[in-house]
Amino acid sequence: MDRRSFIKLTAVTGTSAALASCGNPENQIIRFLPGEDIVPGVAMWKPGVCPLCRAGCGLTVRVMDADADVLRNGQAGVVRVSAAKKLEGAPEHPVNSGGLCPRGQAGIQITYHPDRVTQPLKRSGSRGDGRYDAISWDDAIGEVVSRLNALEAAGNQKSLACLARSGANHRDVLIRQFLARFGAPLPVTYELFGDEVLRRANALSFGREQLPTFDLANARHVLSFGADLLGTWNSPVAQSVGYGQMRRGRPGMRGSFVQVESRMSQTGANADEWVPVRPGTEGVLAVGLAHLIMAEKLLPVPPASSAVRLLAGWNEGLADYSPQRVEEITGVPAVRLARLARRFVEESPAVAIAGGPALAHTNGIFTALAVNALNTLAGNIDRPGGISFTPQLDVAASVKAPAPGAPPAPALAQWSVALASGSMAEVLFVDGVNPVFTAPPAWRVREGLDKVPYIVSFGSFLDETSVMADLILPDHSFLESWMEAVPESGAHTSVASVAPAVMRPLYDTRATPDVLLDIGSRLQRPLELPWKSFEEMLAASFGALPPATPDVDAWTDAQGKGMWSGTLPAALARQSVVAVNAPAVAQAYEEPRFDGEVSEYPFHFLPYPSSTFFDGSLAHLPWLQEMPDPMTSAMWSSWIEINPSTAVKLGLGEGDVVEVASTQGAIRGSMVITPGIAPDVVAMPVGQGHRFFTRYASGRGANPMEIVAPLTEPVTGALAWAATRVRVSRVGPPDGRLILFAGGMREHVEQER
Amino acid sequence: MFTTARPTLGAAVNDFLNRRPDAQQPIEFPHNTHVGKGVMCEFCHEGVDKGPVAGIPGLRTCMICHDAIATDRPRIQQMAAMRDKGIDLAWQRVYGFANEDHVKFNHAPHIRAKVECSTCHGNVAEQTVAQRNVEHTMGFCVNCHNERKASIDCLTCHF
Repeated sequence: MDRRSFIKLTAVTGTSAALASCGNPENQIIRFLPGEDIVPGVAMWKPGVCPLCRAGCGLTVRVMDADADVLRNGQAGVVRVSAAKKLEGAPEHPVNSGGLCPRGQAGIQITYHPDRVTQPLKRSGSRGDGRYDAISWDDAIGEVVSRLNALEAAGNQKSLACLARSGANHRDVLIRQFLARFGAPLPVTYELFGDEVLRRANALSFGREQLPTFDLANARHVLSFGADLLGTWNSPVAQSVGYGQMRRGRPGMRGSFVQVESRMSQTGANADEWVPVRPGTEGVLAVGLAHLIMAEKLLPVPPASSAVRLLAGWNEGLADYSPQRVEEITGVPAVRLARLARRFVEESPAVAIAGGPALAHTNGIFTALAVNALNTLAGNIDRPGGISFTPQLDVAASVKAPAPGAPPAPALAQWSVALASGSMAEVLFVDGVNPVFTAPPAWRVREGLDKVPYIVSFGSFLDETSVMADLILPDHSFLESWMEAVPESGAHTSVASVAPAVMRPLYDTRATPDVLLDIGSRLQRPLELPWKSFEEMLAASFGALPPATPDVDAWTDAQGKGMWSGTLPAALARQSVVAVNAPAVAQAYEEPRFDGEVSEYPFHFLPYPSSTFFDGSLAHLPWLQEMPDPMTSAMWSSWIEINPSTAVKLGLGEGDVVEVASTQGAIRGSMVITPGIAPDVVAMPVGQGHRFFTRYASGRGANPMEIVAPLTEPVTGALAWAATRVRVSRVGPPDGRLILFAGGMREHVEQER
Repeated sequence: MFTTARPTLGAAVNDFLNRRPDAQQPIEFPHNTHVGKGVMCEFCHEGVDKGPVAGIPGLRTCMICHDAIATDRPRIQQMAAMRDKGIDLAWQRVYGFANEDHVKFNHAPHIRAKVECSTCHGNVAEQTVAQRNVEHTMGFCVNCHNERKASIDCLTCHF
């Protein structure tokens, strides 16, 4: 349309609109009586808990009056509600100290999302096509109850399965209690970026099956092996706060930071020194440093402990890892290795961190153990500027719920393959996970779910997994219900967060814990869970804690502050000192295994957690879609990163559409050429490529998990998501789908037209 | 989607010329009676000393008193019936600044400075429904700010 016709059209439509509607439109509005007393224009800040990752940051939520469009008795109108308008970090919270990451900031859009499931739904179409009919809560719960009664009547209670998020919080304990009392196996848990390898390594090295807390604020030097500690890994807000302190919180002393990885992450971009290594060899660099430190007697050798004994050849000073051999394996020159070792020793306290892609290899446990040994050598355990383990509340102990005697659930990989062969589950509950999107295709999760006769999802959105469900019982948003978290790391004191709903539910949804309690009480053989509501469970749990403020009981105090923090009595601390059978033989470096032959698939493929969508569970939030990626500035799209020299070799230009193929399949995407990646690696953020996940995420970009091979780390069974090899081929010129902030691709495409 | 800031051309013209139709209120609320009985302004406009918005009270506020007072009056009975149906009074605003004025007005500091409500809103004791008989021009604001030695920095109001 040219300018002239636009002006003509505006004039015509404007005049006709003016003629069509006279009078004051406000006269036609029907106002409904609000359900609560609201003082207009006055903001209140209420405590909340961020549910978007496992860090468990505390929120403070700005709540004010707002007009909501509603339908009442078939009549449309507006009603004044008290609504959450802004999320910020809670200033007093021991984990995030007032900070909040962009994902948390955007979390407000979950509550007001136009594609939220607003009432219980029953499938009307075929599985996966997303057609549902409305159903009342009574009918919906009645349906679940009759299904469970039928299982009970057939003595087949173990055919109730549950797919849930992992985590040691109250919701998790309630789900476990429900399943155990019914006689079902414990939930199958799956998280793509779940850090099981590091937890297991910490259990082996330090007897703590837990993610560590780093005292970055007091460190002088940080050596990170692949951990995106300022972006997506572990407790990123807590780590960013500590990092800020380390860098410029102490006058005259600026801590230094070295990042070892094969693709520059947001965290790597902050480092003083970026050390690219061959994928899967990060552990060799760590033991190489330990060898140099011991060989040159830069530090006293620590007393033998399990952390160091687990490395083969420790007593011989790790003589196998001479600088020359380390150079051969990792590609890091021996001179640089010597400099890194000196720096690690001289700038004490220096802490080493392992996480992310470094541990997502078949030899991930070795890498984690190597870094643990390096920390032990530096004397970093439980000292300022080192690492420690936060005492974590054992919810099962605080609510006095006996440990479930149910058999542990299998890992997702085995479980879904068994499902696909048609066994086990008759009824499946799905709570807060989307493995159809995040698991590799070889695990056949979708096919497995297809074989389950009856699936109930508690999700607030239809995604690739919940669209398989026969019944959807939507949960409240996290601002509309009781929220809680028991952070595993990030704080130096024990902390448990809790917050009541900050606003009334907008829709006909119900809190999932309360729905489970309701179902449990309506069964033929009621489950007799000891609580009538989730609130009662939380009250029991927090009531058992020692008061954090004198003269106020812990439960009242915690509700007002949004958390309890203090010294945990030994009886209530999670028994994280677990006896894990140590590997019989001490670990030596084994070459990482990769899927695909080098000749056919010459590149390492790195699907990494997106700074905006994390594992893809946040791709439905438009604020995050439009947030430019910190490294490439791409938004609303997905892309593939490649080194400039490789691009030249393959004849690829910026923005070209390429195909990335592995033994598992092929995906297409636009090319971003970046020097921050090793020449033999191509990387792609996880998060886009949803087939079915609200209007904002569906059909946008490609999902790298679709070509990830099902290799696992053998000790934990965790997916080695960085162990796939791929080949890259050009498909065509830029197609305009890659959108870069502030120009870039879009202008480029426009010019070519 | 392309939307205009004004729903109709007429609305745009009126807006441009700063002509606003008189507010049509759902019932003829007698300010005079209420003020005459000694009800203070902030009893109903309860946000006035707390934040930016004084607030136009809804039916719930009315019924705090009128559940017991003057229940024999037809208008009160009409309101009770509305409440029973779950419908609120759709009051229209009388005062306010247009968006493009970029004025951020906050009631609370004016109350703290002991500015009388009538300074800006006229004598509502003589009105039934509120009338817009004080024009809130910039000159009006700045005069008073000058007299009272309040800040006349642009950013005090325009931000």
